[in-house]
Amino acid sequence: MKNKYIFGGIIVAVFLFLMIYLLTQSNIQYENDFAKVMAKDKTVKATGSWVKEKSYELNKENKTFTFYMADHSGKEMKVVYHGTIPNNFESAVSVVVTGKYQNGYFHAKDILTKCPSKYEEQNVKSSSM
Amino acid sequence: MKSYALFQKDFHSELRTRYAINSLAMFIIVAISVILFSIGNENISPGLTGGLFWVVIFFSAMSGLSRAFVSEEERGTSLTLQLIASPATVFTGKLLFNMILVFLMNIIITLLYSMLFAEFIIQNYLLFFLTFIFGNIGIAISSTLIAAIIAKAGSKGTLYPVLSFPILLPLILTSVQLTSFSIDGIPISEAVFELAIVVCYDIIMISASYMLFDFIWKD
Repeated sequence: MKNKYIFGGIIVAVFLFLMIYLLTQSNIQYENDFAKVMAKDKTVKATGSWVKEKSYELNKENKTFTFYMADHSGKEMKVVYHGTIPNNFESAVSVVVTGKYQNGYFHAKDILTKCPSKYEEQNVKSSSM
Repeated sequence: MKSYALFQKDFHSELRTRYAINSLAMFIIVAISVILFSIGNENISPGLTGGLFWVVIFFSAMSGLSRAFVSEEERGTSLTLQLIASPATVFTGKLLFNMILVFLMNIIITLLYSMLFAEFIIQNYLLFFLTFIFGNIGIAISSTLIAAIIAKAGSKGTLYPVLSFPILLPLILTSVQLTSFSIDGIPISEAVFELAIVVCYDIIMISASYMLFDFIWKD
């Protein structure tokens, strides 16, 4: 009778650890190196910044939004998003796109824009009396 | 074999009273029509239909599955059951019965859902099928165990979903994700981790239930 609890307890513990391990694995990973994004055949969250020199393009017929992104080392990647331009896109400091790299460009399912903080430190003129 | 006899007893008494079947059927019809009316002509995204699908499954399970042990308690037959059968046998019998109910209920929900919602289009049938099987097994095991816990409590109706929610949460979350994968048509090789989580959940719940049921049942 006691064996049952020991055996069952071991099964529960082993699979619980396995489940927790799998939970940490299954989440979509962030990637800030575009060379790796292009090599992978998995859905990733690519982080980078919008290349302002190459302007974005809105295609009204296909309802796509195309722009270029660059990572920290300056590698550029074409991103195609099915939808309209997100809010605050032009003022964004960095952009996070979720999707997959296929056929020479990045198919974005979702775009997150990171806006400059309102509360950044400003050079306040010291008002000495 | 005793557990099969117990299952047969439950099956026949269910066919006579049709309490669980009726409450499940009413809940499924009400829930799906409310969703249908509230959506109206609006276009909803396929991912959202996958989520709503599991909402319907969760709450229908909550409305009907607690009967397994509550009915024994109401008729005062649980003491007799304790005398003639071991806890493991009782649990197996009740689990079989709930398993049949869950599969029946979810097949009906899936059929109604795919008929009524144009957006609910499955692209990877195999993945959806696997999700469906493992998800249903998980729901059946957890709901049977929780039904045994609440059978002796006072306010059974409210306690059941409240207790079930945290236990079923990992299963529901992963199943919602897997359903949206199968709607998007993602190949199984990319959903292996999520499928493995659901299988792990089933194994954990079944071994934990057989261990814990002894204590629940003897009190």
